[in-house]
Amino acid sequence: MIGNDIVDLALARKESNWRRPGYLEKIFTNEEQFLISNAKNPEIMVWNLWSRKEAAYKIYNRQTGIRAYIPTQLACVYDNENSGSVQCHGNTYYTKTEITKEKIHTVAVTQQRDFSEIKMEKPLAKIHKKNGIPFVNYARDAEKPISISHHGRFIAWVAMD
Amino acid sequence: MNKEETLDRLKEIVKPYTNNDVAFENFTADTDFIADLNINSANLVDIILDVEDAFAIHIDNESMEKMLDVKSTLEVIETKLSEK
Repeated sequence: MIGNDIVDLALARKESNWRRPGYLEKIFTNEEQFLISNAKNPEIMVWNLWSRKEAAYKIYNRQTGIRAYIPTQLACVYDNENSGSVQCHGNTYYTKTEITKEKIHTVAVTQQRDFSEIKMEKPLAKIHKKNGIPFVNYARDAEKPISISHHGRFIAWVAMD
Repeated sequence: MNKEETLDRLKEIVKPYTNNDVAFENFTADTDFIADLNINSANLVDIILDVEDAFAIHIDNESMEKMLDVKSTLEVIETKLSEK
């Protein structure tokens, strides 16, 4: 299973004031708030952790069919700025995060070995949604889950090979 | 405050975070914040904080879970107001 989330940092700066009182407490666990307040660049830490939660939630939503706004129940285990995992109701989702000046992009998987089978090109085949969850039909293949993330200037597709 | 007034007030709160003007014009109890209004999920927390301020209520995490559409949000507001 896969999930991904992209954050356009320029748009995030425009759309979200994460310094707003009460904001961080609503979406981050105590441990995550600690990581943010001790980070060299708190802004990057906010969107790094957020993109991990979103990428993991997309798998959780696909697996369980549950749709809910549960950011504090998606708890990040932070190994370093590029890797870690997210825990949610007994599930573990592994994450890899890429950070550039312009964007932060996280891919989440259910098993570590899945990282080597990831495909990130725009699919030529048609994408369809079932209960809001996207799938793609590759030629002569059964339908496969695909995760699509779009924010500002950026769009990313992640599927398993 | 009656239901209609609460809905109108919520509509005003949601407006600045909306990314689909047509869906916003048709704002009803059935409107979904993400699927219809294309609201960024990082802005849902702003809506929750704005609702807390506007109605002088506290929204706990359990109530927050459901706040993905107008209907559930109105239910949370009504419940919290009745507990005051």
